[in-house]
Amino acid sequence: MGQPILEVEHLKKSYVNNVPILDDVSFSLQKGEVVVIVGPSGCGKSTFLRCINRLEEIDTGVLKLNGVSYEKEKKNISKVREKIGMVFQSYDLFPNMTILNNLLLAPMKVQKRNKEEVKKEAEQLLDRVGLLDKKDNYPRQLSGGQKQRVAIVRAMLMHPEIMLLDEITAALDPEMVREVLQVVLELAKTGMTMLIVTHEMEFARSVADRVIFMDKGNIVEENTPEQFFDNPETDRAKQFLNSFHYETVKK
Amino acid sequence: MQNMGIEVLFKGINSLRLWQGLWVTIRIALISMVFSIILGFLLGMVMNIPNKIIKFICRIYLEIVRIMPQLVLLFLVYFGAAKHLGMNLSGETAAVIVFTFWGTAEMGDLVRSALISIPKHQYDSGYGLGLNKWQVYLYIILPQTIRRLLPSAVNLLTRMIKTTSLVALIGVVEVLKVGKQIIDASRYTNPTAALWVYGAVFFMYFIICFPFSRLSRVLEKKFAD
Amino acid sequence: MKKKILAVLLATGVAATTLLGGSILVSAADDGGNTAQARTLDEIKKDGKIKIGVFSDKNPFGYVDENGDVQGYDIYFGKRLAKDLLGSEDDAEFTYVEAASRVEYLQSAKVDVILANFTVTDDRAEKVDFALPYMKVALGVVSPDDALIKDVKDLEGKKLIVVKGTTAETYFTDNYPDIELVKFDEYQEAYDALLDGRGDAFSTDNTEVLAWAQQNEGFSVGIESLGDIDTIAPAVQKGNTDLLNAINDEIKSLADEQFFHKDFEETLKPVYGDNINPDDLVVEGGVVDGEEKAEDAAETEDSDAASDDTKEAETTEEPEETEAADAE
Repeated sequence: MGQPILEVEHLKKSYVNNVPILDDVSFSLQKGEVVVIVGPSGCGKSTFLRCINRLEEIDTGVLKLNGVSYEKEKKNISKVREKIGMVFQSYDLFPNMTILNNLLLAPMKVQKRNKEEVKKEAEQLLDRVGLLDKKDNYPRQLSGGQKQRVAIVRAMLMHPEIMLLDEITAALDPEMVREVLQVVLELAKTGMTMLIVTHEMEFARSVADRVIFMDKGNIVEENTPEQFFDNPETDRAKQFLNSFHYETVKK
Repeated sequence: MQNMGIEVLFKGINSLRLWQGLWVTIRIALISMVFSIILGFLLGMVMNIPNKIIKFICRIYLEIVRIMPQLVLLFLVYFGAAKHLGMNLSGETAAVIVFTFWGTAEMGDLVRSALISIPKHQYDSGYGLGLNKWQVYLYIILPQTIRRLLPSAVNLLTRMIKTTSLVALIGVVEVLKVGKQIIDASRYTNPTAALWVYGAVFFMYFIICFPFSRLSRVLEKKFAD
Repeated sequence: MKKKILAVLLATGVAATTLLGGSILVSAADDGGNTAQARTLDEIKKDGKIKIGVFSDKNPFGYVDENGDVQGYDIYFGKRLAKDLLGSEDDAEFTYVEAASRVEYLQSAKVDVILANFTVTDDRAEKVDFALPYMKVALGVVSPDDALIKDVKDLEGKKLIVVKGTTAETYFTDNYPDIELVKFDEYQEAYDALLDGRGDAFSTDNTEVLAWAQQNEGFSVGIESLGDIDTIAPAVQKGNTDLLNAINDEIKSLADEQFFHKDFEETLKPVYGDNINPDDLVVEGGVVDGEEKAEDAAETEDSDAASDDTKEAETTEEPEETEAADAE
């Protein structure tokens, strides 16, 4: 293995009342790797993603992108965020713009790219996710699943080196989950480096190169998907996975 | 007698004077509104800064505007500035200052709550795309704020137009004052003038306020979520 | 960092506005203590324009005609004053004032002189300097021609209409408690009552009833001047002696040509008609003809003279209130 694309060393983060939300987390991500983070609600996995692109300030620790630390970067944090795309759980398209303008905004304003060129690329990507005919619509005219597909395209257009996906299907109606995850699977096939937080275990198993199980602000287990889902090493991971099984058995 | 009443509107340059008065009304209200919107946006953003001193100062400002009748403010600025600060402002300037002072407070408060009502993830996704703070405000937050503000802003504008009748008391001859002058000038020759003149003034207020409220309704629909 | 600086700047701006507003507020509370320096006669002459505060909706004293030009008894004098002080009638720069803020206009030096039907009162004389009077007003009584009231004695046993809060109400209550008063809140109601015969006569300022009688056939002003005589005079900022003296000299010298009678002919007569004696309203050379008043006082009772002071104070309130109500 060469130089990791992303390195996190001894990351600590607590909220005002000193309750630690991330307690000394270290982690690294190789180029082209897809890592899925699972764990119970409140285990700190979403906060972990938000810390990585500095939407949350960290208390202590080191963040490195391609070997360059950026945890204290202020002025050029936008440069870092350009390289780390993120898609959120909530439908986060800008309601005041058409789909196409949602896509064009950041490439044009942040990267100062040529409008025609970006537009061409945006239309190609929209076509790939099956939404080219919606380009002049407003977000309110799209379903949740369609919005999330656009959000992924929007992040992709920035040509990020890493994509962070934060429970992107959690707010969707069940029948729309698949259309969104299909796009992520396509993305993984192209060799995109991704860090994914999700509750969709089947999806995690099929997309992940590596699974990380987090609980109470710590990484408890790191494993291949096959190992983790079939034969977890830690008790806490077993318990967590059992809770899923129990529900499915009951059905 | 009836005929005589309506004649007053067409005597001499009376109707021209009414329209000129209306222009004064609109001019004061629009200029004040433009300043109020610009300053109100800045104030609204400042009010959301989590700093106790800033919050306290803003609170005092809003309270002053809320408590003080506009007429008192007009007198303070028009006469007070001349008496105490040696600034001899024209009536119209004083009116614009007072209306802006009032409008900025109202707009600021509206902008503040509109900004709060924008979900946090709108900011997050903007930052996540690499936009800086100003870009996030300019392209994402403010346009959404404006839509939420539109009805209240138009409401404020029409209230301002109506409140301009007060500026007659600091010597500015706006439409209602022109109306009173016309009625008074024909007091002994045309006692029914009042009905016609007030009718005309009513009509003039209506034709300037109505398009604004229509416009706001149309825009509101257009921007609806 | 830039943003922080901007935020601080903005906050300072808001703070400054608040403080400024606050300080104006506080200083305005001790009203009258502070005044802007008025222009002296020399400064006015240098400028070539004299700023005169006049009414724009008090026909026939100050009003705007259908061509947008300001006219009236006060304006006629104002133009002459400008001509004699500065050389041309056009050197008068008229500012439209409201009744309630006439004193303020002088104190804030927004105008050089007020010629706005300004009744002289002790209270006002403490805040501004009045020049010699150029007009006077008293009470008048209007009644139907077929039962014309020509003397106060004729009113005994009759119903007299008055408007609440006016000089007339106080005057008759104090001096003629036997006359039955029918009181109304507004002038319009009072006139309607007179037209309907709900009262035998109506009393208020003589200028008011004179103008009304002129418009309403079958009614005349039988008593043109009654009660205390109030004078109307130009006013300047307190202590602006040069200008005050110049105006006084002007008023005195205009007596030779009976200027204010001419003013009356031009501006008041068209409204008040031929029946009125100009001497009931006009003051020449600043000399108020006191004999008439003395007669009146003698005709009434001694109490009249005794209660002079208190009544004067009450009288002062009246014109301002009605005018302010007009302006609302």
